[in-house]
Amino acid sequence: MIDQLAFLISEGFKNFFRNKIISFLCILTIFINFSFLGSLFVIGYNTSSLVDFFRSKYSFEVFFVENVDEISYQKIIDDLENKNIISSINLIDKQESAKIFKQEFGEDVVEMLGYNPLPISLKVFLNENDFEFDVVDSLIKNIQSIDIVDEVEYRGKYIDSIEDRINLAIFIFIIFVVAIIFLSFQIISNTVRLSLASRKDFIQILKYNGASTLFIKIPFFIESLINAIIGSAFSYYFVKYLFILINSYFDLTIQIDNNLWIWIIGFSSIIGLYSSNNSMKRNLNE
Amino acid sequence: MVELENTSFNYNKDSGIFDINLNIKDGEFCFLVGPTGSGKSSLLKLIYFDLIPDDGNVKVLGFSSKKTKKKSIHKLRKKIGVIFQDYKLLNQRTVYENIALPLHINGLGRSKINPLVEEALELTDLLEYKNKYPSQLSGGEQQRVCIARAIVKNPDIILADEPTGNLDPTAAYKILKILEQINKEGTTVIMATHNYKLISEKEYRVIELNEGELISK
Repeated sequence: MIDQLAFLISEGFKNFFRNKIISFLCILTIFINFSFLGSLFVIGYNTSSLVDFFRSKYSFEVFFVENVDEISYQKIIDDLENKNIISSINLIDKQESAKIFKQEFGEDVVEMLGYNPLPISLKVFLNENDFEFDVVDSLIKNIQSIDIVDEVEYRGKYIDSIEDRINLAIFIFIIFVVAIIFLSFQIISNTVRLSLASRKDFIQILKYNGASTLFIKIPFFIESLINAIIGSAFSYYFVKYLFILINSYFDLTIQIDNNLWIWIIGFSSIIGLYSSNNSMKRNLNE
Repeated sequence: MVELENTSFNYNKDSGIFDINLNIKDGEFCFLVGPTGSGKSSLLKLIYFDLIPDDGNVKVLGFSSKKTKKKSIHKLRKKIGVIFQDYKLLNQRTVYENIALPLHINGLGRSKINPLVEEALELTDLLEYKNKYPSQLSGGEQQRVCIARAIVKNPDIILADEPTGNLDPTAAYKILKILEQINKEGTTVIMATHNYKLISEKEYRVIELNEGELISK
């Protein structure tokens, strides 16, 4: 049994080297398909960052008039904190504002002007789950009508429609990915089938010499696994370095999932084994 | 050992094997003769269950074509050595590797494989070619490799499908001598041929087929 298994494993590796052209074709097919798929998945993975970016718009800022007293703005803070739609509030005092200004513009506003003209403000975070644009809109109008409030800045006016479009884009993207997966499966499957068809005689010889179906299949499975692992490993490194290059060239921060290599190699192995098994069934008339 | 009961296999209306009854005993040497297309190869295929009869039954070494499942056919084939007219050798493997293949299939380890392959090489006079590839050999030598591969696993039956068909008379005679020697050791040999000159010199049983029907047995 051990001798037989050792023979079958070594046959799988030998077949890989014996059929160099076919092995190369299989690896190339897997590489092209999984480079494409891998890139799509990196893009998909990063759309969540895009959604987070838009989600950050679930907030507005309240700027108070000059010389506002603490009791007055504290009362507004207390009122807002009691509302379900508000998740949290950050108070930005004059010193904090000056710090932010320096971070953003690189200048110390107090040194520049001799005094701090920046107002005290509030950064109000909205509860995403209870978000309703009409409620937020009416709340903002109420706040704007308060005497000590100079201005309310809210950039999330179009958040509803933006999110709708993002969701639609994600839906289309998923359909596209499923279609590409299906296409990849077909292409890889056909390449494997082609490689097996070219060795129909070899399968026949094994059959006539008393080889069981499993005995015939195992070396082909091993060969398929080798092809899948090599092809997908190349595609993983291609995708990884492609996005590193894109990040550095366009100064982007596209993230690559740490587990990308697992699913690329795992998925290609599954497709390779499944295709081999299917093609073998036809050749063995199972 | 080999028994065909009212066996028929139809490729189409006019060609195939029709209602054959045949019995071949243990240790027999018999020729299967008939013109091209008479059904010799089909009959051999029925014996190693490459074809399953449409009607009747084929019993070989305790396996019945009616009862044996597809996934169990390999068990029968382990006991049969098949020699093909077109050799069916693996061109990317050496003579030694080709001959060792059935032993690997049977699950033998390298230590057991080596002496058995050497023995088969010796019997077929191929020792000096063991590291060569089939493409480096003549037709007669390739056929001997095919015979060595068939006998190495010490089968109960040897089925030879026109083994001398592509060979010159000297090489053909050499092949027949090897098969006779194997038969002397107790293996049943069924050899399909249309080389009537070769048959006429021997006194073995002759089974004659014509257009899929048994003429004499």
